[in-house]
Amino acid sequence: MTDEIRLQLDDHMYERLAALTGGAVAVCYQCGTCTASCPWGLVREDYLPVRTIIHQAQLGVPGWQDNLWLCTTCGQCEALCPRGVKIIDIFRGLRELAWESNHVEKGLPSLLWSVYWSENPWSQPPSQRAAWAKGLDLPVFDATQHEILLYVGCTSSYDQRAQKIARALVSTLNAAGVKYGYLGNEEPCCGESVLSVGNKEYFKEIAGKTAAVFKEKGVTDLVVISPHCYDVFKNHYPMAENYLKPKHYTQYLADLISEGRLKFEVALKEKVTFQDPCYLGRHNGEYEAPRQILSAIPGIELVEMETNRSEGLCCGGGGGRMWLETVNAERFSNLRVKQAEKTGAGTLATACPFCTVCLEDSAKNLPPGKMRVKDIAEIAAQALKKPRE
Amino acid sequence: MPEFHMVVCVKVVPRSDEIRVDRETRLLDRRHARLELNPPDMSALEMALNTRDRYGGKLDILSMGPLSFEPLLRVGLAMGCDHIVLLSDRAFGGADTLATTYTLAKGIEKMGGADLIFCGEESADGATGQVPAGLAEWLNVSQLTLLTELSLDLDKQTATGRRSLKGGYEILETPLPCVVSVKNASQEPRFINFSRKAWAYETERVTVWNAVDLNADPESIGLTGSPTTVSELARVPVRERKRIKLEGEAMAKAEQLAVIIRDSL
Amino acid sequence: MPPSRYRENEESKAVWVYLEQEEGTLENVSLEVLSKGRELADVMKWKLVGLLPGSGVHALAKEAITRGADEIWVMDHPLLTTFTIEGHGAVVYDAVMLGKPSIFLLGATHNGRDLAGRLAVRFRTGLNADCTNLHMDEKDALLVSEVSGFGGGVVAMIEMQNHRPQMATVRPGVFALSEPDSARRGKVIDVPVNLKPEQIKTRILERVRSGVVDLTRVPVLVVGGRGVNGDFETLKKLAEILGGDVGATRPPVDAGFIERERQIGQTGVVSSPKMALCCGLSGAFHLLVGIDKADVVVSINSDPEAPIFEFSDYYIVGDVSQYLPVLIQTLESQQEISHA
Ligand SMILES: Cc1cc2nc3c(=O)[nH]c(=O)nc-3n(C[C@H](O)[C@H](O)[C@H](O)COP(=O)(O)OP(=O)(O)OC[C@H]3O[C@@H](n4cnc5c(N)ncnc54)[C@H](O)[C@@H]3O)c2cc1C
Ligand code: SF4
Ligand code: SF4
Repeated sequence: MTDEIRLQLDDHMYERLAALTGGAVAVCYQCGTCTASCPWGLVREDYLPVRTIIHQAQLGVPGWQDNLWLCTTCGQCEALCPRGVKIIDIFRGLRELAWESNHVEKGLPSLLWSVYWSENPWSQPPSQRAAWAKGLDLPVFDATQHEILLYVGCTSSYDQRAQKIARALVSTLNAAGVKYGYLGNEEPCCGESVLSVGNKEYFKEIAGKTAAVFKEKGVTDLVVISPHCYDVFKNHYPMAENYLKPKHYTQYLADLISEGRLKFEVALKEKVTFQDPCYLGRHNGEYEAPRQILSAIPGIELVEMETNRSEGLCCGGGGGRMWLETVNAERFSNLRVKQAEKTGAGTLATACPFCTVCLEDSAKNLPPGKMRVKDIAEIAAQALKKPRE
Repeated sequence: MPEFHMVVCVKVVPRSDEIRVDRETRLLDRRHARLELNPPDMSALEMALNTRDRYGGKLDILSMGPLSFEPLLRVGLAMGCDHIVLLSDRAFGGADTLATTYTLAKGIEKMGGADLIFCGEESADGATGQVPAGLAEWLNVSQLTLLTELSLDLDKQTATGRRSLKGGYEILETPLPCVVSVKNASQEPRFINFSRKAWAYETERVTVWNAVDLNADPESIGLTGSPTTVSELARVPVRERKRIKLEGEAMAKAEQLAVIIRDSL
Repeated sequence: MPPSRYRENEESKAVWVYLEQEEGTLENVSLEVLSKGRELADVMKWKLVGLLPGSGVHALAKEAITRGADEIWVMDHPLLTTFTIEGHGAVVYDAVMLGKPSIFLLGATHNGRDLAGRLAVRFRTGLNADCTNLHMDEKDALLVSEVSGFGGGVVAMIEMQNHRPQMATVRPGVFALSEPDSARRGKVIDVPVNLKPEQIKTRILERVRSGVVDLTRVPVLVVGGRGVNGDFETLKKLAEILGGDVGATRPPVDAGFIERERQIGQTGVVSSPKMALCCGLSGAFHLLVGIDKADVVVSINSDPEAPIFEFSDYYIVGDVSQYLPVLIQTLESQQEISHA
C-alpha cells in the first residue's frame, strides 16, 4: 500500500521534473563526465555526485535533495556533456520541487523574502538603492535622449565593494561621451538570485514586472554590470528578443573602443590575468570582449591561467552560493587565486561583482599586496587619464 | 471534538525607512511608505504554520486595520494559512494597546474562540511588545511568550514552549487555550508557495468585520477606547553614521573612546 | 471610555516600582528604574515604593532602600520563587489595588513586559512600553513617557489623563544607577500573600540560565576580524566589562579561532546591538549586513582607508593590539571609580 503511494508520488515527481526541465533528464546516458568535470571534485572528498543526482531524478527516487544546493550553476559539466544534457536546468527543476515541498536550505527563504519586500536580495532598504551614485549627478533615463540605460543591479547598488565597480564604469562612460541614464531608486531587481535558487514561478513574476518597467520607460538598449543580470535579461526574460537588447558592459566598452569613442591614455604596467565569469563566458559565449579591453590598455600584459575560457574555474558565487556559507577548504576561489598566482600576475581581473567579492576574499589569504583583485571596469577607469597628483 | 483552531495575529506596517512625520500636523505620514507584514509577525506565521503542519487543524489570520491591508494579508494565505479575518472600521483607528487588545479579543470571540493564538514579539512601528500578554488577559487564557520552540500535547491539551531568557531559556508547560508570542527572527519564514498564490489572491476566504459585527463596546475601541494620548511626535533623522575620527595621543584616544562607549550605553 | 479599576481621585500620591529578582539578586534595570523613580517622586514630593515579590527576598529590601525607596512591600511566598505570570500577576495586582499608586513602573525585561502587558489590561489602564525617558508634568501630576517606534525612527511623548495607575516599562540601560546610600532608612512592609498552587497554571519544566549564545540582541557586540590575529581573549574581556558578547568576521572563524555560531553577517548572525565595536575588520558588505542595525558603531583599524570607517560613528586609526589593552584598562578604572 505504502509502496504504491510512493510510486505514484515518484511518477508524479518525474513528470513534474520532465515538465520543469523540458525533458532534460531523459537524454542522459550516465557516462559520468559531469561528475568528473564538476569543480566540487577539486575541493570535496565526496564531490558533487552530478550523475547520480540525475539518475535519481530519472528514476524518481529520493536522495537528490542532499547535495541540491551545492551546484553553483557554473556550467562546466554542461560544456562537456556528450549528450548535451541541460544539467543546470535539471538542478533548477529539482530546486523548484524543493521549494514546492518547503525543503530548502536555511537562509534561502530569507533571500526570497528580501527580494519580495525590498526588491533586492541583500535585505537593504529600497530607498537607499541609488545611494552609491551620491555626488555623481547621474541623469534619470530618458529614452528620447539616451543611447543606453545603465542597469546597475542590486549588488553594485548596495555592496560597497561592488559600488566601486559601478562608479568606475560611470567615469569610463563619461570619458567616452556616452549619453546614458539610470533609474535611481526606481531600478527594479532583475530576479537572477531567485532563478538561480530555482524558484522559477517567482522569477517569472519578477521578470514580468521588470520587463514592464523597461517597456514603460522605453528601454531597449541596456548595459549591465553583472553577468548574472545580463544572462537573465538575455536568456530568461519574456519577449526578450522583441525589444530588450542587453549588453554586458565589457561588450559595450569593447564596441566603444572599436568605434574609436573610448581611448586609454595611461599606461598601467601591470601583469594581469583574467577570470572568466561563468555567466559571461560559458553561459553566453563571451570570452573576447573583456580581453579586448585589457589589450587596448597600454602597458598591460595579459597572461592566462591554466584553466581559462570555456574551462575557466568558477569563483563559487553562482547558483545562490553568495547567500550560503562555504567552508574555507571548499571555496573554489581559493584555488582560482592560486592559479592566478602561478601566472606571476599581480592583478587578477574579472568582470562580475560576485567574482570580485569571492576572489578578493581568497586573495587575502596571500601575503598582503601580492594579488590585487579588480574588476575590468576599475582597470579601465584607471587607464583613462593621468591620475591627479 | 471540534477542529483544533489556531489564530495568528498579523499586522501590516509601513517600512520604517520610508515613513515621515508631517511637520504641521505632527502626525505620522505613511502615504509614501511601502507596506509590509510586520517582520516579527513573520516568525509567528512560520511557527504557526509549522505547528499546523505537525498537529493539523485550522489556521486563520487575524488582523486589524484598513481594507487596504487585505492584499498584504493574502501573503499569509499563499504561505499556507486558511482564512483571513480583518477587523476594519474607522472607529478602530488610533487604538493604543488597551483598545487594540480589546478589539483583537472581540475578534477571536466572534470567531468562536481559538485553542492557540500566535503573535509576533512586537510590532515594528509601535514596538510595545505588549499585545500578546494583553490579549491573553482579555481572553483569560494562559500565555507563553518569547518562544523559540513549541510543541503540543493534544490529549493532555497542553502547550510546551521554550521561552528565551537572558543568556538562557526555560521550558514551560501550560494548558490550552493559550497565547504564544514568538521570539523575533527565531524562525525563518517559509516563502510563498506559488502553487497557492493564484488561489490566495482570488479566494473569498476573507472575512471583514466592523465594530457592530464584533458587538464591541463603542467606548472601548479606537481612539475613544485608548487611555493614552500622544502629546508630541517627532521623526528622528534616518540614521547616518557620524564618521568621527578620534585624534590625539594613544592614551587620549582610548580615554575618549571609553567615554563614548559609556555614554552610548 | 470605560474607567480603570481605580480612578484618578482614588490614587495615592506615590511612585511604585516593580522589583524583579532572580535567585536573590535584583535585576539591574529594577535599580535603574528605582533611581529614576526617586527623581520623579522628588519632583512631586511623593513617596517611592518598591514592590518585591519572591521567596526569601527580605535581604533585597534593604538594598532597594539604599537606592532611594521609602517603602518596600515584600510579598514572600514559596510559590513566588520563580517568575510565573499567574503567581506574580496575582500578587502584584492585589498589592497595587491595595496601595492605588498614581504611577507604576517596571523594567522592560522579558518578565517585566509579560507582567505589565497583562496587568495593564486587568487594571483597564494604559501602558507605555519600552520607554526611553520619563518625566513629570508637575502642574497636572502627569507622567510623560518618551517612547520610540519604527526602529528608533520616530519618537513620541505619551501621557494619560484619567486612567490609573500610569504604567510604563523602561528599557534596560537608559537610566543611570544612583549611588547607593547605606544611611538611608525606609520601611519594610510584609504583605500577606494569598496564593494557591492551583492558581499557577504554567509549569516550569527546565530552566537554563547561562551558556546560550544569542548575539541577535546583546547590548554590546564586540566583533573581531582578521586583524585581531586570533586574540579573542582580549575581546572577551572587553565584552565582559561592557556586559556584551563577542562575534567575529568570517576569516577568524575559518581559521578556527572562534566558533562558527559567532560569525556575524550575511551568512552568520544579524545582530541589533546598542553598540557594535569593530576590531580589526575591514567592513566587507557581507559583514556589514550583520551590524547595520546597531545604534552606534565604533571601530578600530590600522588602515586609514578601511571601508568600515564609512560605516562607523566613531573610529580610531590604529593597532588593535595596542588600543584594546588601554581601553580595557580605562574602562576598568572607570568602573572602580563608580563603585567606590
Ligand atoms: C558567500 C559569502 C558569504 C560571506 N559571509 C560572511 C559573513 O557572514 N560574515 C563575514 O564577516 N564575512 C563574510 N564573508 C566574507 C567577507 O566578504 C569578508 O571577507 C570578511 O568579512 C572580511 O573579514 P575581515 O574584515 O575580518 O578581514 P579583512 O577584510 O582581511 O580585514 C582585516 C582588517 O583588519 C585590519 N587590521 C589588520 N591588522 C590590524 C591591527 N593589528 N590592528 C587594527 N586593524 C588591523 C586591516 O587593516 C583590515 O582592514 C562572506 C563572503 C562570501 C563570498
Ligand atoms: S555528462 Fe551528460 S550524459 Fe554524462 S552523466 Fe552527465 S548528464 Fe549524463
Ligand atoms: S554547473 Fe558547475 S557546480 Fe553545478 S554540477 Fe555542473 S559543474 Fe558542478
